[in-house]
Amino acid sequence: MAFSQYLDSKRADMKALVKELRKSFSYASVLGVDIRSSAIRADRNTSGINPGRDTECGFVVKMYNGNVFYEYSLDDISGDMTVLAQTIANGVFGAGTDTIPPVEVKDEPLVKSFARPHDFAEYTDATLLDFCKNQCATLLSKSEHILNAVVMMGLLEVSKLFISENRELDQNYTWVNGNMFLVYRDNDKVVQAYEPSYGNRIGDVLAAMPGKVERLLKKADLLTKAKPITPGVYDVITDPSITGLIAHEAFGHGVEMDQFVKDRALAKEYVGKYVASPICNMRDGAAATLSAASFFFDDDGVLAGDTQIIKDGILVAGLSDLASAAQLGTVPTGNGRRESSRRKAYSRMTNTFFEPGSDKLEDMIASIDHGYMLFETNNGMEDPKNWAIQCVAQYGIEIVDGKLTDNYVSPVVMSGYVPDLLKSITMISDDFKVIGSGSCGKGYKEWVRVSDGGPALKAKVKLG
Amino acid sequence: MNTILSYLKADASVSDYKYNEHKRESCELFFVKGKLETVRRTATCDKQVTVYVDHDGFKGESSFLVYPSTTEGELQEKITDAVAKAKLINNADYALPEKETGSFEVASNFADYELSALSEKIAECVFAANTLENADLNSVEVFVTRHTESVVNSRGIDKTQIRYSAMVEAIPTFNGETESVELYQQYNFASMDEATIQNEIAAKLREVKARAQAKKPEGELAGKVILNKLELSELFGNIAYNLDYSAVYAHASVFQKGDAIQKDATGDKFSITMSGEVEGNLQSNKFDSDGLTLGSIAIVEDGVATNYYGNNRFGQYLKEVPTGRLGCMTVAPGSVSAEELAAGPALEVVSMSGLQVDFYTDYIGGEVRLAYWNDGKTVTPVTGISITGKLSQVLSSLRLSETIAIHDGYVGPEKAILSDMQIF
Repeated sequence: MAFSQYLDSKRADMKALVKELRKSFSYASVLGVDIRSSAIRADRNTSGINPGRDTECGFVVKMYNGNVFYEYSLDDISGDMTVLAQTIANGVFGAGTDTIPPVEVKDEPLVKSFARPHDFAEYTDATLLDFCKNQCATLLSKSEHILNAVVMMGLLEVSKLFISENRELDQNYTWVNGNMFLVYRDNDKVVQAYEPSYGNRIGDVLAAMPGKVERLLKKADLLTKAKPITPGVYDVITDPSITGLIAHEAFGHGVEMDQFVKDRALAKEYVGKYVASPICNMRDGAAATLSAASFFFDDDGVLAGDTQIIKDGILVAGLSDLASAAQLGTVPTGNGRRESSRRKAYSRMTNTFFEPGSDKLEDMIASIDHGYMLFETNNGMEDPKNWAIQCVAQYGIEIVDGKLTDNYVSPVVMSGYVPDLLKSITMISDDFKVIGSGSCGKGYKEWVRVSDGGPALKAKVKLG
Repeated sequence: MNTILSYLKADASVSDYKYNEHKRESCELFFVKGKLETVRRTATCDKQVTVYVDHDGFKGESSFLVYPSTTEGELQEKITDAVAKAKLINNADYALPEKETGSFEVASNFADYELSALSEKIAECVFAANTLENADLNSVEVFVTRHTESVVNSRGIDKTQIRYSAMVEAIPTFNGETESVELYQQYNFASMDEATIQNEIAAKLREVKARAQAKKPEGELAGKVILNKLELSELFGNIAYNLDYSAVYAHASVFQKGDAIQKDATGDKFSITMSGEVEGNLQSNKFDSDGLTLGSIAIVEDGVATNYYGNNRFGQYLKEVPTGRLGCMTVAPGSVSAEELAAGPALEVVSMSGLQVDFYTDYIGGEVRLAYWNDGKTVTPVTGISITGKLSQVLSSLRLSETIAIHDGYVGPEKAILSDMQIF
């Protein structure tokens, strides 16, 4: 499937609306969004084919009048654009309130269409449901300890059209998540375990999932034997998922530059200073790698970026949306993202990761007398102002005398002070993986799809 | 709506249908360091159709969204496509709710205000609370939304309700001599009470001042741990999730009806009731998305799981009476007095990165951003610590305050004492 025909049909109306709004506002743009997503699933007893939670079709109008940004979210753009522009302008409120200082909102000329090839037309819902049912049956047949198995496919096809006075951009791209999930009982214990697969082509995800069945079963079995960890400070090795979680929570949120504007980020005072071990390099960008947050332009109509955040341990740059860059007098980095067309754009991470190092993973494990290798993100929480960090791993495996054992611990809560953690990194593996199955909130809201990852890191952290 | 319903009625391959509509009108204000940065309005309406097809002894269903741009030709195509998808779904049969109609309004004094004026008034209340020297509100966001929700099905359900919600996200900040610190606050409510808003914000400003003074303890701390309403809503919410019909049916629940959640209880035996509507509760609804009228049910009594609750389909699968989706949780108060709470040694948790509660691994804990350490003589703010414990052990000895507090969908003990927690 190609770019949304519906949005294409609204192109002229969107341009006319911008033209009308420009009579009253120094800047005006319209973002049209048509996202088709489906959630196909099967478990032991039920199945379903339904719209995914990302599904939407709508518009958001953004304006600036020299004092304040205004946004108006609506379902459709049709009829007389003069009347619609008047309705939107009449909706403006908040007059008489003290406002931010005037800023310059740039609108550099650019007209471009973007599309990433995909294979969605080659698969039907029936084919994918059959796959989920068969994969579920395969899992259930593997062990009598499985209480339930859930196999899910999440398909996302995004079309967005951005129109301002000087810019006309459209994009079409896809993403696919495949998940296998087990509820497993053994050793008088019930556990949950999952295996994600992801990519921008359905065929790649379908090919990957069957090969992860045995790994999932083994993991579920070992998790039933997992013990609580003895709280303390340990040498740890992080898998790419936990490396990504550290990148995301430790520094990603802290360099979202709308936090700089609000004086909410300690990182603002550390640009140009060491914040991590000199062997650390960290990047973010929709154009930095191909993963779940790889778009071509952001929700402010700014082209996708590839931002080096940390270079050789030194903080060099942050991530910005249009409004925060305008207030800071910087160039926006292509990180303006909305949960949907109904929500505000904020500075948000996209694909965030540590770059590979030069160490071999086996050497890193061999260097630890007693510690843990940590696996799989459960959740995390940022604290951009004060650099506290909490990252929760699904499980850890004990390392004794330089070797991984069969001793599982779960869950593992890693906490501490961000610079202490980042400066404790002494080895970085030469491999690299970005996990494309995540989503991220800002505070406790504004959920967007993100990816994160990197190589394995060796660090010293507090676990509990 | 009438066009959509007429197409659904006319299609013989549709056994049953459901139509849900959710209209949202919102006014939103975004402040940066006290100055207005962004003003937003939304005027949107979600329309979702669910088609049910009875086939081969099964009930299949599939949903689709309808947009203003959807033509009548496209609507017919979407129905045909949904029928085809529903025929692929072999779920066990169940009955749709029947024959209830009505228009309702969830009680709220928000109805007395125009939305934009209300959002401005809430913002005024928030900033009026900012009277503490060296403290500030670096970021404030105000959302006020009027929701109009309708559900119509082929079995005679036709209901509409109006309800309101408001949310304030505030970032109280304290600028000390050497560093500046902040806390995060998200405050959800559904009725306008200026004093409560100001008290909530003022309390958080006092807490952020304490965070600025807080230090990492030099030695080990040993004593009881006191949790507040936010963490308690998280803890009891996890228990309630495990008694939801969908979790039970999917074998994802760790509790069965009759199980003692508090084994060998030595503390206050707790009781949890789920309800559709509780006065002043943000999660109050007159009916759920299936159109089921919402009542109340006790799911935990004296520490024992007594009932499940949840939606129409999974309730019938479990051969239980569907209660509908109940969003309001009420936990009965306990026996702990203010005097007992004030006695040390105790660590009163004020702010966490997020309480981790995991019944599968029998874990409770997390990183503490701010707490008050009461050694029995003096109370000092502390930070840079974590707490951890064995969940089953903690629940058995849990003691709940006599006083009640409200947080989001939770009405219950304001504080609780946890024994057997390690502070590290």
